[in-house]
Amino acid sequence: MSAPFRIAREEWRLWTRSRVVVVAAFIVAVLLAATSVLTALRLADEAERRTARQASAEATFFAQPDRHPHRMVHYGHYAFRTPPPLSAFDPGVDAVTGQSIYLEGHRQNTAMFADTRAAADLGGFAALTPANLYQLLIPLLLIIIGHGVVLRERESGTLSVLLAQGQTGLAIAGGKALALAGVAGLFLLPVAVLAGLSVTGGESPLAAGLLVGGYALYLAVWAALVLAVSLWVRQRSVALGVLVLVWLMVALIVPRIGINAASAAIDAPGKIESDLVMLAEERKLGDGHNAADPAFEALKKQVLEQYQAASVEELPVNWRGVVAGHSEAKLTALMNAHAERRMESEAAQARIVTWFGLASPTLAVGAASRALAGTDLATHHRFLRESEALRFDFVQGLNDLHATALTYADDAARSSDAEAEKRTRVNAASWRLLDTFRFVPDPAAARAARAALPLLLLFGWLAVLGGAIVAGARRLAP
Amino acid sequence: MSGLLREARFLLRDRGALLWLALALLLSAAATGFGIAEVRGQRATIAALLEEDARDRADAISKQEDWGGAAYAAFHLAYAPPSDFAFAALGQRDTAPWLHRVRMLALEGQIHEADTKNADFGLIGRFDFAFLAATIAPLLLILLLHDLRAGERVAGRHDLLVATAGAPQRLWRPRATVRLAGLAFAMLVPFWIGAGIEGAGIAKTLAASVLVMGGLAVWGLIVVAVGRLAAPPPVLLAVLVGLWLALALLVPALSRAVIEAAVPVPDGAEILMLQREAVNDAWDKPKAATMETFLARHPEWRSLGEVSKPFEWKWYYAFQQVGDQQAEPIVTAYREGRLARDAAAEWAALLSPAALVERGFERLAGTDMRAMIAYEDHVRAFHADLRAFHYPLFFRDPPYDPVVLKGLPRYQPMP
Repeated sequence: MSAPFRIAREEWRLWTRSRVVVVAAFIVAVLLAATSVLTALRLADEAERRTARQASAEATFFAQPDRHPHRMVHYGHYAFRTPPPLSAFDPGVDAVTGQSIYLEGHRQNTAMFADTRAAADLGGFAALTPANLYQLLIPLLLIIIGHGVVLRERESGTLSVLLAQGQTGLAIAGGKALALAGVAGLFLLPVAVLAGLSVTGGESPLAAGLLVGGYALYLAVWAALVLAVSLWVRQRSVALGVLVLVWLMVALIVPRIGINAASAAIDAPGKIESDLVMLAEERKLGDGHNAADPAFEALKKQVLEQYQAASVEELPVNWRGVVAGHSEAKLTALMNAHAERRMESEAAQARIVTWFGLASPTLAVGAASRALAGTDLATHHRFLRESEALRFDFVQGLNDLHATALTYADDAARSSDAEAEKRTRVNAASWRLLDTFRFVPDPAAARAARAALPLLLLFGWLAVLGGAIVAGARRLAP
Repeated sequence: MSGLLREARFLLRDRGALLWLALALLLSAAATGFGIAEVRGQRATIAALLEEDARDRADAISKQEDWGGAAYAAFHLAYAPPSDFAFAALGQRDTAPWLHRVRMLALEGQIHEADTKNADFGLIGRFDFAFLAATIAPLLLILLLHDLRAGERVAGRHDLLVATAGAPQRLWRPRATVRLAGLAFAMLVPFWIGAGIEGAGIAKTLAASVLVMGGLAVWGLIVVAVGRLAAPPPVLLAVLVGLWLALALLVPALSRAVIEAAVPVPDGAEILMLQREAVNDAWDKPKAATMETFLARHPEWRSLGEVSKPFEWKWYYAFQQVGDQQAEPIVTAYREGRLARDAAAEWAALLSPAALVERGFERLAGTDMRAMIAYEDHVRAFHADLRAFHYPLFFRDPPYDPVVLKGLPRYQPMP
């Protein structure tokens, strides 16, 4: 057996004898196991519930009776963001963002009813999730267990014995690294199990594998940090103090400072704010409910020319439906431009936060983890975009019906003539024009691409710390 | 007294301790500065929106020709401005909406709109003064105090010092007190300056300072109690960090999970679906049925409650209200569920000094759950005012005169 292996085995033997280490590891293991099981069950339940809700929303839409197509535009529809399989490990922004969105004509609603709105407020911490425990707790455990890996030998005088026996500093550091890697590896088991389960649940092996790899990298960074400090610092209590301080900065302070900085640097207008700006522009477009609005004169001229008709009454299509479709298209283009601007500024804020990963591996692994799990801000934005496309499709389908399936004369008289009103009701079979909608995560390759930068930052940390370990090991002296 | 002075002199020469204090000062300045920038941004947003809102409403009304159309077109901005203390605890303002635009349609379709910021903000959280005081400060205190005794033991001075001091308390108490006071002072000075700039009242600032010092005192007692163990400094520190982790992170998170399992809240999405079905069904139902439900709530309009044409505004707005009425039971359950969870959290916070301090700050800042629900209630009351203003116009239907709309209720934020 080689020297590093023997050193690592000795370290493990000592750890299993230390009550502090065993108790701490046991508590973390229990917590991790319980949280994993509970989160997985909760999210599986959520996924099932939202899928069922989505299906029932569609069934309700199809089951509507014969009516005026514009009534269906306002009846509207719902889109639900179903959590992806890996959300069992990292639910990400799922709890913070609304899970469903009401889709109707002329409006883009917000996603409503986020879990946090009804949450019990007990201060600054998010709910217990496996991802949170990995990001915050296991590094602290590695610190408690490992801060003395080299210092213990130094303080008990065995370091000089080891060196006198001809062990190089590198071999000793290698053995200690191996011992810490063993602990980290053991604690990677829960994420590996959850990732494996998600693959059986339809998740791509690439995303699941990268998730496990990302956390392996993260724990490796912490193990390297612990070893480097243990090599460079001369006293155990100082080493522990330094490591706890680094943990405090990296895990708790820098991520939040990143949020503050992003919020201060880029002013992302809320929806109401950008809606108000938009409304001023919208007024110039004209009101789609009112076909006599002067803003539609140009459209009228063009449509009359196209059908070679003298007046809107002579058109083979229902002028009101044409106006509704035209103004919905124009309004949607405007709303989308504003929504895109809003999402772009949020994405820019997220980029600023990600760059704070240079100073905090916790932030970096969090970004990578949410991207890979399909629970990041970008996925929520895609949900907003896809549900908007769904909204526009069914609204325009109904507006086409409005233009072709009923006559202008009936449509104009329907508020005062009950017979005309009856003729403007379209057969309910037409409601089938609504597309079925199932929200699925991005392809694994796209998620991996989003996670690339934060994972790279983690590699950078590991490389720098690896250098510090090698340098510290070379100059290791009793 | 001389003990305190002596320890203060020692502290000024202890470079390690001064480093922690400088860090606390820096973090406090950052938290306060960012907090002030954020609330100023929110106030500027509200001021800009108020102007745009009035312009938009005037323009929308100018194009209308009847009461119902004007009510349909006119939006009203409702908002909860940040309090003068909100800079210290942004609390629920990052996850709960504090801006709404409401109009005369069914309120349940509007009040749950979530005009919240970037989701990452709510997920990771801000670094505000409340977080610093509740969560970070205790850990700094632990780092500052954990080797009070053990450090002297390692230095070999412990027994000598205790012997010369006579009573051991005369030695450790001034030392712990000076360090604790130093930390509290380092954090509170930037906070006091911030409170002065923001014009937060003396009473609130004082209450917050007491909260900070009280929280630190509790943690100080914990550190001193653990410090009595005759263990080497690293073990003491490990035990203290474990305690901090349990009290500041795990207990709040576990309590939250338990409370949310024990106190169910109806699924919000159901409110919306129920309301939508009710509003849409009304188009197909006999108008008299809708009016009957409406008139049961508003008997004063019974004499004018008959609908004869296929479309009348009074019927249109009546079924909007009936939609709200149908959703009422579940809306009440949702509101009460949230309040019950908050009440349970108030008890659970007694288990965690960190949660207690954070909730205390949110209470002072008006950014807690109760304040956000009070704001929602306020918006509901305003919407009720809008209805009270419009119903006479719909039912009596006097000739349309836009001048009357100058008397529309105006939203006044809560004091």
